[in-house]
Amino acid sequence: MLLALRRSFDIWSASVFILAVAIFCPILSLIYLSFGDSEGLWTHLLESVLARYVSTTVALMLGVSCLTLLFGVTTAWIVAAYQFRFSKLLDMVILLPIACPAYLVAYAYTDFFEYAGPVQGALRDMMGWKTARDYYFPEIRSLGGAIFVLSSVLYPYVYLLSRTAFRQIPASFYEVAAISNRNVFWNICLPLARPAIVAGLALVCMEVVSDFGTVEFFSLETLTLGIFNVWIGMNNITAAAQISTFTFIFIILLLLTEMYSRSRKRFNDTSRKQTVAKPKIVTGFKAVLLYVVCLTPVIFGFVTPAAILLWNVVKSADMAAFLAVADVLKNSLFISTLGAGLIMGSAILVASAAKFNGGRIIQVVGNLSATGYAFPGTMLAIGVLVFLGFVDRGINAVSWGFGNLHLSGTILALLFAYLVRFQAVGYGAVASGLTKIPPNLISCSRSLGMTSHSTMRRITIPLIRNSIIAGGVLVFVDIMKELPMTLLLRPFDFETLATYSYQFAHDELMDQASLPALMIVVVGLIPVVFLNKLLRAYD
Amino acid sequence: MTSLRKNNLIFIFCACAMLFSNVAAATELNIYSHRQPFLIDPFLKAFTEKTGIKTNVLYSTKGLAQRLKAEGENSPADVILTVDIGRLYIYQDLGLLSQVQSDILQSNIPAHLRSTDNTWFGLSKRARIVVTSKGRVAVGDIKNIEDLADPKWEGRICVRPGSHVYNRALMASMIASHGAEAAEQWAEGLVANLARRPQGNDRAQVKAVYEGQCDVAIINNYYFGKLKYSEDENQRQWAQALHLVFPNQGADERGAHVNISGGGIAKHSKNKEAAQALLEFLTEPVAQQLYGAINFEYPVNPNVPASDELQSWGAFKEDKLPILKIAQLSREAQKIIDRVGW
Repeated sequence: MLLALRRSFDIWSASVFILAVAIFCPILSLIYLSFGDSEGLWTHLLESVLARYVSTTVALMLGVSCLTLLFGVTTAWIVAAYQFRFSKLLDMVILLPIACPAYLVAYAYTDFFEYAGPVQGALRDMMGWKTARDYYFPEIRSLGGAIFVLSSVLYPYVYLLSRTAFRQIPASFYEVAAISNRNVFWNICLPLARPAIVAGLALVCMEVVSDFGTVEFFSLETLTLGIFNVWIGMNNITAAAQISTFTFIFIILLLLTEMYSRSRKRFNDTSRKQTVAKPKIVTGFKAVLLYVVCLTPVIFGFVTPAAILLWNVVKSADMAAFLAVADVLKNSLFISTLGAGLIMGSAILVASAAKFNGGRIIQVVGNLSATGYAFPGTMLAIGVLVFLGFVDRGINAVSWGFGNLHLSGTILALLFAYLVRFQAVGYGAVASGLTKIPPNLISCSRSLGMTSHSTMRRITIPLIRNSIIAGGVLVFVDIMKELPMTLLLRPFDFETLATYSYQFAHDELMDQASLPALMIVVVGLIPVVFLNKLLRAYD
Repeated sequence: MTSLRKNNLIFIFCACAMLFSNVAAATELNIYSHRQPFLIDPFLKAFTEKTGIKTNVLYSTKGLAQRLKAEGENSPADVILTVDIGRLYIYQDLGLLSQVQSDILQSNIPAHLRSTDNTWFGLSKRARIVVTSKGRVAVGDIKNIEDLADPKWEGRICVRPGSHVYNRALMASMIASHGAEAAEQWAEGLVANLARRPQGNDRAQVKAVYEGQCDVAIINNYYFGKLKYSEDENQRQWAQALHLVFPNQGADERGAHVNISGGGIAKHSKNKEAAQALLEFLTEPVAQQLYGAINFEYPVNPNVPASDELQSWGAFKEDKLPILKIAQLSREAQKIIDRVGW
């Protein structure tokens, strides 16, 4: 009996281990690439641009972190702690910007706010200004502009995870705060939601560091832009891999620091009483104020850019364009659904094994497997290619040249690439959910004779269902928006909405690019709306 | 094993087979393209009509060379199509192209626009030109690209970031004709004259000239055509505001810097004959004229005249520097761009 249990545990842990290692392999391939010859480029980089790359990147990360925290945590707290007319609808509305790809929002805003755009044009008409020298207007293609655009579409990561955390805080904690006359938000809820907030913020930071579309369009000299200058401009992929590895290490150190600082704290709830606090009912002027606070980021991240895209579509699209997009839409739905399912499955396996089953090694490998997000998509895609090339040669070697069996350029390769990149999203959501489960519950189930498998199915998954749903929505939408990896790894003639839109956007044909872009937004809304309803039902 | 299970297994096997299979039939050509599908579709349609060979396209702006390299012998790719000599050169540098012995390609493409080892071939030309505001700059004020470093243009020039391939290639052509030191001085002068931080693309520079943010811009010639015939009335107005300058046209000058779009055949292609047929087709009159009609690019084939529209912009002398030189000087060019902060 004991032996049997032992064995099932081992096989299970071993397969989780292999999965996590496989996910980490493309990252290893990139690190391997960085051991080549950088042909003395570092001297040049240090002398000329590196300081600029680093300072711009850090400034961008800090700016976006502050603004997403402000947007995300404030709105999450309002929705979790207060109840007012339509507050349930608002809950969903706040998530909407997540469906908008950052680079497309950047394109839309630039058209809108730049010197030649309608806003400044109208101002000039109104005030009688003649040239740019007559007045001051903030430059949208700037560091500030990028912080604004990125924060407006990324804050839902922080919102979604921290709101779920706020909602799980037991009423008894509120009572304690009231008795000891302390502010419940600052002293109880914020500290308790910290793992979730940090998980969201980590995703935001990684997204910022790996962003290429927005920074390229705004001509901001970040490390990612530098990677491409070195790779394409100087034909040296080694130095490019080195810069991305250093960026990666920087991000990992940042995350480790935060993890270490809370390593001695526990966030799970061992009390018997599980009643969740009732939201406070608010009406009148106060409710209006809450609306304004909650809707501001939505207007920035969703309403305005979507309206601009819609306007482009209305003034230009015809029936043929719609039909072409409908075809592409099927591909997007197919691959996003499949990818989201795959990634959530893998995230649940790895995260729960890391927490309950494995030793230190599984924990480390599990955490490492969730770091792919910190690389620019194209670089990560190259890591995937190198790894798959290696696997393909392996398959060919043992199959004696049986057919032309290989992975590169298949849907499977694309799905694997998504797994490598978005494991972080699923893993972050699941892991922050798991912090709420006391380990003794799992130990108890295991000692009562349940296998790892049935413990997972009957205890763990039901307890973290909300986190799984939240993670699944994020991953689905992320795949929907994903551009650089899809572009490089897809099969022949396989278009997703993102790649289809890009071929026009790349040529600055915003009118043609707007319809598929708008479709990304609209389709992204469906799971957000639907699953959010589900999420509320379980809260 | 129950039959249900067996069915499941068969289903899973079939599903896997579908997911794994990307092997195309023998009469199909697989193309890795750095050009957007909507730009190359008309060429491929014409090719399929003529030869009956079907084509499949994978479009990506970056990393296709790395994909080809990682796939090695297993790669399904037959033909590579790119814009910019720098990208073509990466394929040659990584040894990913096969040698093509073709009299047609030799005679249709001038020697300075193809590789000496017959691995890559220029298929169309684009010129990097200067545009000036019709009202604010007198015709003849700018004759050469070198003039843009003259302090009299301070605060009046717009150009996209130096790290973009078009500007890097222009920088490389400056190094080729003046040496690195003089080229860097020119770049410093140019940067000092900029009206705003380098940003946006070539289209955005034209917009800025139209709106009066600057008086002079550097663009690729085809953008002018795209704007002139844009569906958007505003964009047609931007084009109206411009005067075109083909730089360095004087009798003892080298001519305007040109870049190419081009292609080659993948080393491990299984359809080399069909692949060669496609490259040859692209240099023949039908396709060469399409380049002008679709994207306002110049033919490489000396026997094919430029489109009427292109001719109406004026004949010009092009820099006959072997285009390979541009790719080889690319790193030096990027270093200068980094140093001067373009």
